[in-house]
Amino acid sequence: MSNTLILLVILGLGVLGFFAGRARAMATAEGDRRNLHSLPNYYGANTALNAVVPAAVALAVWLIVQPFIINNSVSDMIDQGAIAEGSSLGLIMSDVRRVAEGLDVAVAQGAMTEQDASDMQTGFTDVRERLAEVGVALGSGVSAETLLAAQRYREMAWTGNWLKTFAVIAIAVGGLVLTWRVITRDYRARNVVEKGVLTVLILAASIAILTTVGIVLSLIFNTYEFFKLYPAADFFFGLNWSPSFSGRGQSSQLGILPLLWGTLYISFIALVVAVPIGLFAAIYLSEYASKSVRAVAKPMLEVLAGIPTIVYGLFALLTVGPLLVDVFGEGGMLGVNWMSGGTAVMTAGLVMGMMLIPFVSSLSDDIINAVPQAMRDGSLGLGATHSETVRQVIIPAALPGIVGAILLAASRAIGETMIVVLGAGAAARLSLNPFDAMTTVTAKIVSQLTGDSDFSSPVALVAFALGISLFVVTLGLNVFALYIVRKYREQYE
Amino acid sequence: MKDMIPVDRKMSTMQDSKISARGVQVYYGETHAIKDVSVEIADNTVTAFIGPSGCGKSTFLRCLNRMNDTIDSARVSGDILIDGEDIYDPRVDPVQLRAKVGMVFQKPNPFPKSIYDNVAYGPKIHGLARNKADLDEIVEKSLRKAALWEEAKDRLDKPGTGLSGGQQQRLCIARAIATAPEVLLMDEPCSALDPIATAQVEELIDELRQSYSVVIVTHSMQQAARVSQKTAFFHLGNLVEYDDTDKIFTNPQDPRTESYISGRIG
Amino acid sequence: MSDATTDMSGGKSAPAAHGSLLSESPLMKKRNAAEARFKMYGLLAIVIGLVFLIFLVVSILRNGLPAFTQTVVNVEFTLTQEQFDEAESKMLKTAAYTEYFVNDVTQTLQQRGLDVDFDGDTIERVMGKVGGDLRTFYRENPDQIGQPVEFELSAASRVDRYLQGQLTRDMVVDGRFLEVADLDLVDALAEAGIIGSAFDWNFITGTDTGVDNPGGAGIGASVIGSFFMMMVVLLLSLPIGVAASIYLEEFAPKNRWTDLIEVNISNLAAVPSIVFGILGLAVFIQFAHLPQSAPLVGGLVLTLMTLPTIVISTRASLKSVPPSIRDAALGVGASKMQSVFHHVLPLAMPGILTGTIIGLAQALGETAPLLLIGMVGYVAREYPDGLVSGLLDPNSAMPAQIYTWAARSDEAFFEKAWGGIIILMIFLLTMNIIAIILRRKFERRW
Repeated sequence: MSNTLILLVILGLGVLGFFAGRARAMATAEGDRRNLHSLPNYYGANTALNAVVPAAVALAVWLIVQPFIINNSVSDMIDQGAIAEGSSLGLIMSDVRRVAEGLDVAVAQGAMTEQDASDMQTGFTDVRERLAEVGVALGSGVSAETLLAAQRYREMAWTGNWLKTFAVIAIAVGGLVLTWRVITRDYRARNVVEKGVLTVLILAASIAILTTVGIVLSLIFNTYEFFKLYPAADFFFGLNWSPSFSGRGQSSQLGILPLLWGTLYISFIALVVAVPIGLFAAIYLSEYASKSVRAVAKPMLEVLAGIPTIVYGLFALLTVGPLLVDVFGEGGMLGVNWMSGGTAVMTAGLVMGMMLIPFVSSLSDDIINAVPQAMRDGSLGLGATHSETVRQVIIPAALPGIVGAILLAASRAIGETMIVVLGAGAAARLSLNPFDAMTTVTAKIVSQLTGDSDFSSPVALVAFALGISLFVVTLGLNVFALYIVRKYREQYE
Repeated sequence: MKDMIPVDRKMSTMQDSKISARGVQVYYGETHAIKDVSVEIADNTVTAFIGPSGCGKSTFLRCLNRMNDTIDSARVSGDILIDGEDIYDPRVDPVQLRAKVGMVFQKPNPFPKSIYDNVAYGPKIHGLARNKADLDEIVEKSLRKAALWEEAKDRLDKPGTGLSGGQQQRLCIARAIATAPEVLLMDEPCSALDPIATAQVEELIDELRQSYSVVIVTHSMQQAARVSQKTAFFHLGNLVEYDDTDKIFTNPQDPRTESYISGRIG
Repeated sequence: MSDATTDMSGGKSAPAAHGSLLSESPLMKKRNAAEARFKMYGLLAIVIGLVFLIFLVVSILRNGLPAFTQTVVNVEFTLTQEQFDEAESKMLKTAAYTEYFVNDVTQTLQQRGLDVDFDGDTIERVMGKVGGDLRTFYRENPDQIGQPVEFELSAASRVDRYLQGQLTRDMVVDGRFLEVADLDLVDALAEAGIIGSAFDWNFITGTDTGVDNPGGAGIGASVIGSFFMMMVVLLLSLPIGVAASIYLEEFAPKNRWTDLIEVNISNLAAVPSIVFGILGLAVFIQFAHLPQSAPLVGGLVLTLMTLPTIVISTRASLKSVPPSIRDAALGVGASKMQSVFHHVLPLAMPGILTGTIIGLAQALGETAPLLLIGMVGYVAREYPDGLVSGLLDPNSAMPAQIYTWAARSDEAFFEKAWGGIIILMIFLLTMNIIAIILRRKFERRW
């Protein structure tokens, strides 16, 4: 039975349970709903939930666990020594799955009988050819071992599926019957249902934690694999980034430092652009601007924050880059020839700075507005001008909050991807010239993982090590910044 | 208080008037907050503004150093002269005015800086000190005048927000004195303080009269009676009565004043 | 008090003589100048921000609008029965058609006094495989043989750019795509008024093409990909986000677990999007074996990314419902759960929807995570043929498609990328306007 069908059956049982539960409740109340503890629908809902939820959970768990069990038991059949050079257990297992799926398709299309599929032997049939007939393309011929494993795989999957169907439906029916039986007129159905709903709410809230755990686990696991293939010290302290795709990437030099340098350099330029402009804009908007100017200028600035980063990336690559070359490049307006191509640290930094302006300005605006009016009055009452008040009283008072905002902006800049992928260039280098093309951690994650990645070579796995470095840095900045901002808010609440 | 000069209230009324307001009207948007108020405030005198909440006494006080300018919807008409100069003249810079007419607010509002920097703030922006030694001297003098020196001299570099409520308010007074104003406006300076701190601040106000013209807005009639020589009673935006404090409290002319003093309105 | 009193003697002279209020002291002049300068800086910052915005919008429009038009050649062509029979009997059938077409165009041009020398290859470079198109047309519509037929042939993208002035003769390098001599024909066609421009529907409805055919590339398939992803995001993130917010705002006790959740949510909101891409790659594709490049996976990744945004805005709307409403419901004997679901949630709904739309808009423009799970532009070669295929078959999404075009070396694709941005921005603008209208319409001041 397919999973969709099983799910439909459970849901059907749920509907059945709803009416059965409701009916039983009404029956025990002698048809008068006022005799019941809860509204009749709660009895129905209670029964339905008990039928559906445990069964659905069981189904989900089964779907996750079964492939593991089968994979393990099938991969035991494969002789470790027989794995050819340049291949891996993972690759062979994916061949096995491909063949097994191919056989399924063949049987489903009637090109093969079930008997054929399970008895087929490589000595007598060209499996690849027969599967090609039904539209399943295999990269290479099928070895006897693979075919055997695939047949075993199908067998186990078949048994597993029947067990699954049986178990899940049994759980659904069991849940329904058990709940139905305990219904009496005094049964507190509402409380039970509400407890169920509350559990669902808690689970939904916990997804945030699951996501974080997922991120951390997937990063750690793959980074561990990477460090088995490539020394950690070389990664963290290497001054060279030159992945080599030949020979399964064994001769690559994968040092993070040039990437980190590019990242920090670009972020620094972005902040040099965004912080003064954003801060002054915030000061003007919150201290000087008339209501109507504020009503127009604030949303206009915030539009900059709503524009997708791909747009900024394209803007950097095709508009700002060439423009900068016209000014700083060979034969440019300044005649300095500092810049050889449109993609450069400066290009990406400028555009990223533009993107961060509203980020800095709206956070700072909030923070400046949180400074109590009494501070302004105190300063103005002493005969300070408005700007003296802002510079000497408001900004110092708001400083922790503003620092927090800048740190959040920095974390944004460090994690920004599309602008640097398109605008910064692809060459990893340690240079001081802001008009050189450099690359960043995020850009390299994209380039190492785009396309068909083979998760067993260091050239692809390095992306996870880069990812974990990025995650740790941005997380540290965020936690620290949020802590500062929260402390700051509490001070004036 | 051994060498305190006994106050002769009669004498103070005869002094020249420092501030004279004529026909002052204030509007907040549509609300008519101050209705045709005229008053003469003398130098070296403590003048108290009393009246029920919302009667306009604080609003009028804020007109005297143009703090109402910071509120967009407020409009002021009429003449307010300080030393014979109209402070609403277009040539007058409110910033310069506020250096001359200092203000202490209802809630102590020290800046989140050190005690020293709080007091030094005014002199610094107005360029009153030629060098660091000058500044140190001004700070010490102001803190002494505000009777805070003994408590604060060992912790000048500690944040002003770390002081107690009464100390904070005296710090704010010291901060106002440091800019060397000629008039000191105080908007209910004791309302956020406990009785002991209140007593200290009141004592201070009485001493400040020696050097400044002090205008104080207060809720408490007892306080007005204790610290002021002249009292103005405001009611619903009108200045009802303005006279020597003794007279207001013993022999009010207007029935509304009498009702307020005897606790029937307010 | 003694120190205060002793100081009084000196205090008497303390007030510095203030000058007249009516004249500005030199110091005051300086301070006021500083004030004006400071205010100027603020204004300047705002102006710089707005200039950036205008610069961005102008360059999008200027570069992107041409993507919506294409250059077409309108030719009236008549094929006689004999020509048809003759062509069909030849070895190189399409070449024969091209030959007829060349003659026809030459004649047309000569009638107008224009004499250009060109051959079939020129025609193919300028307007594509005309011979094949003609043959297909006449084989499918034999009844049109012998009658004049108006053909609208789309010109190659380089011709497009040449006519728009973006490509000049000295920039053209003779090659497979275009030769300088071909431009003589283009000039002649332009002079004869045969060449013109038309709205390029193919850009909106088409799919991505190979790297050698920038003219035929369209964004349609990836719009559909984006649509399926947004469906997944909406269906998952709205219920989960609302449920999580209700728990955190209304039920959660103050304990370590809820603290942990809170900290997690605020941090996830600031985790770089690319990290979510890594998560999607490792968990959904590497671990759960979901298909690569599938909008379903893209939707799942974007859901996880959008959830914190939705939770934060939903909690704000729940918080804005005054406690008196909850008390009122509890007061008539409703359970806590009932008071939330019957009263608080409906009142908070407009705010929640606004937040959700803004979250979706953010997800719609996200690119980096999609690249990691394989939703790059070049997989958007065909339309899905149903719901399941829409969710599971390889497809791209608008921003990823734009990225793919921008990353190609052929400059003709850049115009497509800008055009794609216009389409993306139209979607975003619409979503934001809906959000603003919702907020205006249902905004409630308690």
